[in-house]
Amino acid sequence: MISSSEIIDMDQLDHTRCRNWPFLQDFCVTCGMCASSCPASGIDGFDPRMLVRMVSLGLAEEVIDARWPWICTMCGKCENVCPMQIDIADLIRKIRSKREREKVPGILHKGLVAALETGNNLRLPKDDFIFIIEDVAEEVAEEPGFEGFKAPIDKKGANILTTIHNKLVNTHTEDLKHWWKIFHAAKEDWTVTSENWEGTSWGYFTGDDDAMKIMAGRIVEQMEKLEVKTLLWPE
Amino acid sequence: MGDKNVLVIGGGTAGLSAAVELANLGVHVELIEKSKFLGGHAIGYTCKAIENTCVKCGACMVEEKLQSAVFHPNINVLAASQVQNISQNNRFSANIRQESLVIDPEKCTNCGLCLNRCPMEGAILQGFSKNNHPFYAVNIKKCLYFKDRSCTICRDECPETAIDLDKKASEHTIEADAVLIAIGFQPFNPKDKPYGYGRFNNVVTGLDLERMLKQSGRVKKPSDNKLPQKIAFIQCVGSRDAKLNHLWCSKVCCGSALRMARLIKERQPKTEIAFFYMDVQTFGKDFEPFYREAQKDIRMIRAIPGDIYEMDDRRLKINFVNNSTHETKEEIVDLVVLSVGITPVEDIGTMSRIFKIGPDESGFLRTDHNGVFTAGTVQGPMSIPETIANSGSVAWKIKKYIDGLTIDD
Ligand SMILES: Cc1cc2nc3c(=O)[nH]c(=O)nc-3n(C[C@H](O)[C@H](O)[C@H](O)COP(=O)(O)OP(=O)(O)OC[C@H]3O[C@@H](n4cnc5c(N)ncnc54)[C@H](O)[C@@H]3O)c2cc1C
Repeated sequence: MISSSEIIDMDQLDHTRCRNWPFLQDFCVTCGMCASSCPASGIDGFDPRMLVRMVSLGLAEEVIDARWPWICTMCGKCENVCPMQIDIADLIRKIRSKREREKVPGILHKGLVAALETGNNLRLPKDDFIFIIEDVAEEVAEEPGFEGFKAPIDKKGANILTTIHNKLVNTHTEDLKHWWKIFHAAKEDWTVTSENWEGTSWGYFTGDDDAMKIMAGRIVEQMEKLEVKTLLWPE
Repeated sequence: MGDKNVLVIGGGTAGLSAAVELANLGVHVELIEKSKFLGGHAIGYTCKAIENTCVKCGACMVEEKLQSAVFHPNINVLAASQVQNISQNNRFSANIRQESLVIDPEKCTNCGLCLNRCPMEGAILQGFSKNNHPFYAVNIKKCLYFKDRSCTICRDECPETAIDLDKKASEHTIEADAVLIAIGFQPFNPKDKPYGYGRFNNVVTGLDLERMLKQSGRVKKPSDNKLPQKIAFIQCVGSRDAKLNHLWCSKVCCGSALRMARLIKERQPKTEIAFFYMDVQTFGKDFEPFYREAQKDIRMIRAIPGDIYEMDDRRLKINFVNNSTHETKEEIVDLVVLSVGITPVEDIGTMSRIFKIGPDESGFLRTDHNGVFTAGTVQGPMSIPETIANSGSVAWKIKKYIDGLTIDD
């Protein structure tokens, strides 16, 4: 990564190099509103203004190899305040997409490979998943007001299908309960699926459109199979 | 030649300058102004001389033009007036509607008793210059008499019987050989920017600050009228903004804000000032030494802040990127001044309709066809000196045009 104090060899700069990246980066007026609004500015020197300028100057390899694009949380606040309408979050996703897949940061890469192979980022087997869901449902049923509570799995014709973030069946099982209690109180007819229940789509974060399509397609398949019309995708 | 008549619409720097130029050339001018006072935006600006040395802000030039215009025998002014419609048949014939002025300029001595006695805040308006005559005007939107006839104090107490609360609006017809549209600009309204304008008391615009400095000579916090210890200026608010379709630089704001900042430093030296900018527009050949001095007193920060939050004590928390560490930094200030840009004025729509001409792609209006001309900031961002120069040259074009008519006749 080029730091601001390093001298850049002007011959390296090619303003036209990233021209086919359709993000208006050349319109940047370097006002800095993106960096002033960014919740991740400063982490390892991350600065969205500098990143946009680097792309505008054609420093493609430098940004693709840099750690910066992976610090961004994709919250989109930069883009919201940018007076020049530069799609900064999309630009970052584009940079991520250009990295060799093997070099995508560890957890994201491994998680996505696992999801594509097994249907979820954790490689959690179906039986274990069902066990966890039923176990947590039993805990809910022990609470006053939720007697007899059950989590409906693969319920055909339910009103809502809800996806599950893998951390909710891993380290954050308590968080499952909030949703479920709301469903219970609202007398909602809902269900989760025993396969392909994964709600996170790391294809989005790694800039992998094909992976995103596969993950989304699987959810649609489940909905068709169970004849559910409404999807709750709480990401 | 002496019987030629030009209708000037708008009595700001541009309208006044062109009117004076034409009047000096022997042309008769009918100057109509929508508001109650002549002078436009810039009559509300203060002289910003530092240590009695002129910094060329242009404020006094507007005063000068106003004075020449109001005393010129060839210029007739109609305040509180607007064009209703216009027809052109060789000459122009314009129907003008003048709102009731209430205070008779012939009788009023500008004693100020009406303002002192008025029980309703904002019902008596004040001008900005000693050449605004009458210096007072009744604001019928606030006046209790116009609301429910419950108060006649100003009329009853005016020692000159200059106030007629029942005075009606009037219609005038003006015949003219040419028309100049000089309706100026609209300052950008920053209410939708993430800076809390209109919600946080201590966030003001550059224009608010100009008026504050002109009226009281000091800058105070609107929340408690105390002197601020720390002020932040934010530049380019509403300019160079593709989302708003405002791609232009407003040109005047860097100079204006830096001159005000330096004036505040001179008058209230303990004040700390931070100046957030993208790049500083140069203004005139004296820019270099002026800017060098400015940088000594003013902290220049090359970033535009992201958000502003109001704290319980009404101070303001600003978020901006620190250029050396690239971190977002928080800083607390007492007052924020937004340098709002120059945008096309609303009435360009009306003018386009009346005169059947279209604005340019940015929304400003520029023409010199068929006897209809534009001058000043209705054409796009200009400083006071630029406006005066532009209006002078347009006045000459108008003169040529009407002289041409004489020949054709
Ligand atoms: C924040 C700020 C600070 C500035 N500071 C400086 C500075 O320090 N120095 C400098 O040189 N310049 C400065 N400027 C620029 C300066 O204000 C303009 O150059 C100047 O006011 C332009 O004059 P104008 O006559 O074109 O427009 P205006 O001042 O807008 O005058 C237009 C007039 O037309 C009237 N009008 C509008 N519509 C109608 C209608 N339909 N019928 C009749 N009348 C109508 C208005 O009431 C107004 O009186 C500043 C501008 C801004 C926004």
